[in-house]
Amino acid sequence: MIDHAQSNAHTSGSIPLTQLTRGQSGRVQIDGAATDEIKMLRAMGLRPNASITMCRLGEPCIISLSGACGGGCRIGLAKEIAGRVMINIERQSETQPDGQSNG
Amino acid sequence: MSSVDSVPEISSRIIALLGNPNVGKTTLFNRIAGIRAKTSNFPGTTQDARHAQCCGAMLIDLPGIYSLDLEVSESVVCRQVLDGDLAPAGVDAHVPNAILVVIDATNLMRNMTIVAEAIAKRLPMVVAVNMMDLAKRQGIHIDLERFGECIGCTVVGCSGKTGEGVDELMQALDSATIPDRSAPTELDAIEAWGDDIYSLVAAARETPVNDRLTDRLDRTFTHPLLGVVTFAVVMTGLFWVIFKLAAIPMDLIDAWFGTLGGWVAGLLPEGPISGLLVDGIIAGIGGTVIFLPQIVLLFFLLALLEGTGYLARASFVIDRVLRPFGMSGHAFVPLLSSHACAIPGIMAARSVPDPKDRLATILVAPFMSCSARIPVYVLLTVILFPDSPGMQAVAFTSCYVIGVLAGLFSSLIVRRTILRGPSRPMAMELPSYRFPDLKAAGMLTYDRAMMFLRKAGTLIVAISIVLWWLGAYPQRPQQHILFSEDTTIEQQQRIYREFDTRYTFLGRIGDTVQPVFEPLGYDRQLTIGVLASFAAREVFVSTMAVQVVGSDDAEDDSVLASIANATRDDGTQVFTRATSWSLLVYYILAMLCLPTLVVTAKEAGGWRWAWLQLGWMTLLAYSGALIAYQAVSLLS
Repeated sequence: MIDHAQSNAHTSGSIPLTQLTRGQSGRVQIDGAATDEIKMLRAMGLRPNASITMCRLGEPCIISLSGACGGGCRIGLAKEIAGRVMINIERQSETQPDGQSNG
Repeated sequence: MSSVDSVPEISSRIIALLGNPNVGKTTLFNRIAGIRAKTSNFPGTTQDARHAQCCGAMLIDLPGIYSLDLEVSESVVCRQVLDGDLAPAGVDAHVPNAILVVIDATNLMRNMTIVAEAIAKRLPMVVAVNMMDLAKRQGIHIDLERFGECIGCTVVGCSGKTGEGVDELMQALDSATIPDRSAPTELDAIEAWGDDIYSLVAAARETPVNDRLTDRLDRTFTHPLLGVVTFAVVMTGLFWVIFKLAAIPMDLIDAWFGTLGGWVAGLLPEGPISGLLVDGIIAGIGGTVIFLPQIVLLFFLLALLEGTGYLARASFVIDRVLRPFGMSGHAFVPLLSSHACAIPGIMAARSVPDPKDRLATILVAPFMSCSARIPVYVLLTVILFPDSPGMQAVAFTSCYVIGVLAGLFSSLIVRRTILRGPSRPMAMELPSYRFPDLKAAGMLTYDRAMMFLRKAGTLIVAISIVLWWLGAYPQRPQQHILFSEDTTIEQQQRIYREFDTRYTFLGRIGDTVQPVFEPLGYDRQLTIGVLASFAAREVFVSTMAVQVVGSDDAEDDSVLASIANATRDDGTQVFTRATSWSLLVYYILAMLCLPTLVVTAKEAGGWRWAWLQLGWMTLLAYSGALIAYQAVSLLS
């Protein structure tokens, strides 16, 4: 879920976006009230079940919105926001051998 | 474009272009409108309004938004325009006659939110599926006819870049109708609706494009170390190009206005009309136009950089630096622009989404050392280090660094006191890397330059005229002064000039105010120079030149040498080491530009912000200059 209470336990295998590894994909899990931030992120494409792929960890966190939209698009998120976005992991893929964190 | 049934009033038909950011809406608008496009304001807002009277209608390019249902200023403006409550300055506001929704063929699913929201407005509507050329290359196929059937209105495929489909689009707008289907209004339902339509009309690769090059570039440009190094190199290159290339047209402009002033002065008899024309109007216009080369170059190069997709990444790099000080990465372009002139920099702060971040950016933008300070920096660094070009360069660079540090410090104070609250973290779409569109960059630059001339030009000319008048009147009655026999002709001329100056309003204000500047080491001449700088900072050098040698040719080396060796009434040197350091610090930190104050008041939403800016910068400048003067005096 896009969740402002970070103490909530992860549910159904969902983890914060900041815990994905580079190349890992997942689907956005939405729950909770539609705050201004949630509405903005959903309007940008981070909507329920949107398929995302982690491109760069850290500050900024860069994700690619993939799935059935052809070219997809990339979104940069400050780490603070990325930590509030919950992702259901769908598969481990393309983890880079040179480590996970980019700063 | 004309209605089938009746001849419309050309100015009353409004077509609003609506769409997400980065869908090429402005490129499409420029393709349709061409040179007829103008930029003004949406009254009562800080949003730019691009519009054009074209093809029998007023086309309005609305700000790019992800949704009408957000509380960001761009969405608020779009809602107001579509409800008929707002229009660009000079345009009669009413509900638009048609909406042209521009969507990105390579990102269809995400664009369906704005399509649904536009359908809900129940206005005649056409959907332009833009970037069809790019979609084709990426193997995306969209059934436009089926798409139109699903949403109940005409859908046209086009490319704003190549012009493909634009004629068909204009014809469709001619006969636009209200969609004969409805769309959901609740977000979950809109997304499901969008998914359904997408699955019916689009065929695309199911797996994401594996873009290793974009990945590598992103990781480099946003790396904590490499990203900063890249940023420093790009910015240094940008500044070098701007200052080097702009010097040529600036010299030409200076020479041309000097010649024009001399020609007009030669035509007219000496008197108030000649003075007003030459020293007020021509000098004021020249003082504005001379900024244009730097502003044009800066905005053109920034538009090119933005067009490559690099600036979006650089904003995140600079966000890390600015956020602890209460500003966001969005402040980067306004602060950079302020190094040419604070006026376009403050206007560029409209792009900062958070209101408090935007205000902080506006308040501290004048701390960035603008071009007008350069003549003052050059004069004082040469005086301080006459035989050491290396030290002159170090001192010159340090002026810029001190300005930036003072800006960051001031933002920190402001965000911890009157504008309390954390800076909004950034969430931004990162456009694809591509070759920049030269035409779009050129048009944007032209817009910005015209906006600068309209806003700043009128202000600077008006203030120049007022200051010229204060410095020219009243004129001292003719009286003969008895000099001792050993007084040289030069000394006598200097004494007459001094009496003339002291008799004017500016001179009297200088005499009255001088005791305030005494602790900083400024005599009456320097005080008048500082006061005259309120029109434009670089006026300080020519004002000193007039007082000292009777010539305002600040380019003449002999004049500069004379300024450096100027003496006070008691015979001591004006530019002592301590006074020079004090003046340098003062000019780095002080708000000495009335036109900037006026623009601050307008963009920040009130004169209290301008007074705050003036008060704070004056306090900082005075304190810094006082410490510098007293410290250097003690050490000497």
